[in-house]
Amino acid sequence: MLSFREYLEYSEKHLKKAGEIHKSKNNIEWLLIPSILLSWIAIESFVNNMIDDFNQLPNDIFELHERAFLLEKKLKFSDSGDTVGNFYIDKTDEYKRIEDKIFFLIAKLSKGKKKIKQGKLWQGFKKFKETRDKIVHPKKNMEYSIRINEVEEFLNCSKEIINFISENIWGKPVDF
Amino acid sequence: MEIIFDHNADKNNKIEKSIEKFLSKVQTLEKKLKIPIVIFQDGVNNSYYIKCSIFTSVVWNLFDFDARLTIDSPESFRANRELLLNNKTYLKMKEDAMDGREFNDIIVEFNSSYNPAKPLKIWGGQHRAHAILEAKNDKERYHGFRIFFDLEKKQRAELALISNTNISVSTDTFDRMLEETMFGDVLRKWCQKIGFLSSSEDFPDVGSKSDKITVKLARSFIVNYYSGKDQGMKIKIDEIDKNVYEPYLVQTGVIIDPNYKKIIEEYGNNILVDKDLLEAGKAYNKLHKTQQNAVKNNPNIQNRKSFRNKALVESVICGWSYVVGLLQCNKGRLKNLYNISNTSSKILDPLNAQEMSKFKHDSDPPTYRGLGTRSSLKDRQRVAQVFLARSLYGTQILDKKLLNKAVSQVVGLLTMKKGYVPNA
Repeated sequence: MLSFREYLEYSEKHLKKAGEIHKSKNNIEWLLIPSILLSWIAIESFVNNMIDDFNQLPNDIFELHERAFLLEKKLKFSDSGDTVGNFYIDKTDEYKRIEDKIFFLIAKLSKGKKKIKQGKLWQGFKKFKETRDKIVHPKKNMEYSIRINEVEEFLNCSKEIINFISENIWGKPVDF
Repeated sequence: MEIIFDHNADKNNKIEKSIEKFLSKVQTLEKKLKIPIVIFQDGVNNSYYIKCSIFTSVVWNLFDFDARLTIDSPESFRANRELLLNNKTYLKMKEDAMDGREFNDIIVEFNSSYNPAKPLKIWGGQHRAHAILEAKNDKERYHGFRIFFDLEKKQRAELALISNTNISVSTDTFDRMLEETMFGDVLRKWCQKIGFLSSSEDFPDVGSKSDKITVKLARSFIVNYYSGKDQGMKIKIDEIDKNVYEPYLVQTGVIIDPNYKKIIEEYGNNILVDKDLLEAGKAYNKLHKTQQNAVKNNPNIQNRKSFRNKALVESVICGWSYVVGLLQCNKGRLKNLYNISNTSSKILDPLNAQEMSKFKHDSDPPTYRGLGTRSSLKDRQRVAQVFLARSLYGTQILDKKLLNKAVSQVVGLLTMKKGYVPNA
């Protein structure tokens, strides 16, 4: 599996290529779209791997509902058998939004600045997410345009989000 | 005072006058006792020098550590190496100087043409000279010097070169000598008994050039085994996997590691009859031999020394011995760990050196060289967790999944330790 650094590197390569082609007025969307997605995947990769660090800990370290959240599984209430009357983690997947995972990490495991939703970084992240969603969930009547400088902003946003999490959880920035 | 030329030295009036000038300015033992001064001439570069002894308080103010090759140029290349004043060997040297050690064969040039207040330009033995400077107390001694006169630039350059070239004694050799002096041959016998060394074999001079265990590694093994065992007795069995452990790497060099010293003073020759320790050592030796043979004999694994000798990497031996000590109170898991020499058709060497060398966690810098390649605490902690995770399974091999799991545990636990906030 690729690392978040490799996704960022590939995103940068696409962006660089787009910059070269853009000068000759050619279409560059075919490079910008993968660049955006790769920048997004870098965040997903980084956050999921960090979540997985906690999934590897002994079962009783986190509360049951937290563990279900981390495992992205359904928390269910048992109404039969030996476990009747107890909650348990079901095998059914229950995927969490990336921003929820970030909120969890920052709220539970950060000693630093926790107000991630305030400020430019989160605004940029939201814009990045909207664009990414439009790309991966295309609809006939939904138009969007992508400018090269926006894609560069998304790439930077990806790095900043990763760094924000790293600094808050591990207490150190990431070397890209 | 009588000054005579050695029979191999050509008579030279200028040199004789320079030496008279030196003796008129500097009080030496020879002058005090009216012992004749002999002028020698180097057979290779023809430079002249004398040998004499000078008292600490006399020589203090005369040293110049910034000797120049070109005497009329302040920008001249400074031939001497940087003084390593925090180096353990230097600190020991300084301590000895304070206790009254005499140093000999410090090589200086008598030259007043620059920085005349400090005419003894040091070319060889700058650390000894500096130790003398720092040892200002009542235990002053005479120190031995070779003092050169009227050097030409070429002679000076050669002097600088030969004075700064030495056959450095490796820390492994130093450890070996010190081990023998301080504790006798118990560590060597232990290594011979379990097979790290053959019956007539000694520790290698330079571990990095050898396939053998060094004094440092053997000491680390023993310290970690007993530290792990001690820790294992303090924690409940079901708490074992909830901690990050810190395997210890013994210090090397002129100072005996205090933890090792304590253990040898406590156990002494008993390490030779401690069955559990011997079993641990033999199991590790088996792992080392299996790893070596697997890498040597399998064309599908790169036959790299770092892969063959994976078991001799400091973090690996420290991590393993600590965990083996820790699991002394859990014989089931211990047995699992002793089965680590098993391999599979996909993973041909028990330590899976190639996969370990490629390993990188997201929190590692891009320059991180892989798991079990360094001696740092981080690497020792991670490797210990790998073996701890391995001990949960009877036949599990050290595949990528297990490595990921173990390192994630370390990172996760260390993060939790920094501050987990329960629900408000």
